[in-house]
Amino acid sequence: MTDNALHIVDLQKRYPTGVEALRGVSIDIKPGEFYGLLGPNGAGKSTLIHCTTGLAQPTGGAIEVFGNDAISDYAEARQAVGLAPQEINLDHFLTTEETLDFHGGYFGMPKRERRERTEELLETFSLTAKAGDRTRTLSGGMKRRLVLARAVMHRPRLLILDEPTAGVDVELRLELWHYVQKINQEGTTILLTTHYLEEAEQLCNKIAFIADGQIVAEGTSEVLAERFGVPNLEDAYLALVGRKELSRSHVEVVP
Amino acid sequence: MSAAQIRFATLWRREVNRFMKIKKQTIGAPLLETFLYISVFGAALGTRIKQLHGIDYVVFVIPGLIMMAWSTNAFTNNSSSILQQKFQGAIQDQLSSPASPLELLLAFSLGGFMRGLIVAGLTFIAASLLVDLPVDHVLVLIPSLFLVGFFFSQLGVLIGVRAEQFDDVAFAQTFILTPLIFLGGVFYSATLLPQPWETLTHFNPVYYMINLVRYGFVGYTEVSITLSLLALAAATAAIFVVNLRLFSRGYKLRA
Repeated sequence: MTDNALHIVDLQKRYPTGVEALRGVSIDIKPGEFYGLLGPNGAGKSTLIHCTTGLAQPTGGAIEVFGNDAISDYAEARQAVGLAPQEINLDHFLTTEETLDFHGGYFGMPKRERRERTEELLETFSLTAKAGDRTRTLSGGMKRRLVLARAVMHRPRLLILDEPTAGVDVELRLELWHYVQKINQEGTTILLTTHYLEEAEQLCNKIAFIADGQIVAEGTSEVLAERFGVPNLEDAYLALVGRKELSRSHVEVVP
Repeated sequence: MSAAQIRFATLWRREVNRFMKIKKQTIGAPLLETFLYISVFGAALGTRIKQLHGIDYVVFVIPGLIMMAWSTNAFTNNSSSILQQKFQGAIQDQLSSPASPLELLLAFSLGGFMRGLIVAGLTFIAASLLVDLPVDHVLVLIPSLFLVGFFFSQLGVLIGVRAEQFDDVAFAQTFILTPLIFLGGVFYSATLLPQPWETLTHFNPVYYMINLVRYGFVGYTEVSITLSLLALAAATAAIFVVNLRLFSRGYKLRA
């Protein structure tokens, strides 16, 4: 048992198809940290997140969230986690308001608290005017905002963001990051996966590279760049995926 | 209310909310369908058949129609609800909550159970206004209807969890459930059938359910009430245990 927000030891996941998505992943995320998990598609990022949130069942290893087992005796661990998944997975039968209210209910929030928190989040995410609209009628950006609002509805101590800004416009991306940075400063631990390296560089205290189901490097962006012998995080990532030739550091600026 | 009670009530409320939002389809259509059966088989055929085993034909038919309304609605609701949520990915919100497999299973089951109860209840009220419908053995009728409702709720959950496309649900309903119900003696007495059909009817589990409900209403049965009740209770318990194992393993719900 540790004091870490997330403590993962030797996590393994083999799907029934035989695919080994995670091959002994171990990471520790301290309370209050903004932790980035970077890697190419299929590296195991989403599987790691699914194992942590109960959406996938690990075939080996251990996961603790704030010292609580997240695999077998998972109630306390799941109570502490909020998930904004990569795919928008809103319930088409619910309205915007109901989406938040029901989520709060699943996490045991009393009615009054749910009502107050729903109002607060609708306001924060500029969704008040859409409170009574069915989720399927919302625009893509609104759906993305609602997914994040739902993830924080029950005030999780660990917020997991799985590529939350994929396909969103610049304005919305900045809005989301401002909110996430704010709650991080207030004490919420963040685990972020993203393909936008500059975002990870700006936001995260610590970054891990995952490839082929294994953590291959971990540290600050400076440490990672040094580890790969390159000037920045992007080049370190390109070195990881074996595409150094794409480095923008090699591009000569024509006067 | 405790957090666990709030959670369970919300999970259940979500299921009821779903079918109440489309009540023309989930309540109105089945009611109309039942009344068409009463009109065609009861009123129209009843003028020719008059009585079966000393009971007015329309009265003989109505208990089976009430049972059919409860069972098909319970089944359809749960199988569709689970499959739709799996398709949308919305089920992840419930699966990543602290809810236990038992809480999830009961909540999904009770959604269909409630829809069946509402349609069957409305059918009973309307039928009572149209004909003189007796309730001879209420102590047999209530447990029988509740067990039938719960059995088909569980069956709907089982098919919904196993299904990978809507065709799977439609297949189970059209090619298994409907023939079993229609050939179980809703509209006739098995004693009127020639051999081997009369004997074959005794291998149809729905035949015993219809007899239980018919006995509860009009006091007529072709089977042992005690044995049928025990068999129905055992079958319901068995399918519940199977479903609970599937939910505990995360079968086709968690990766």
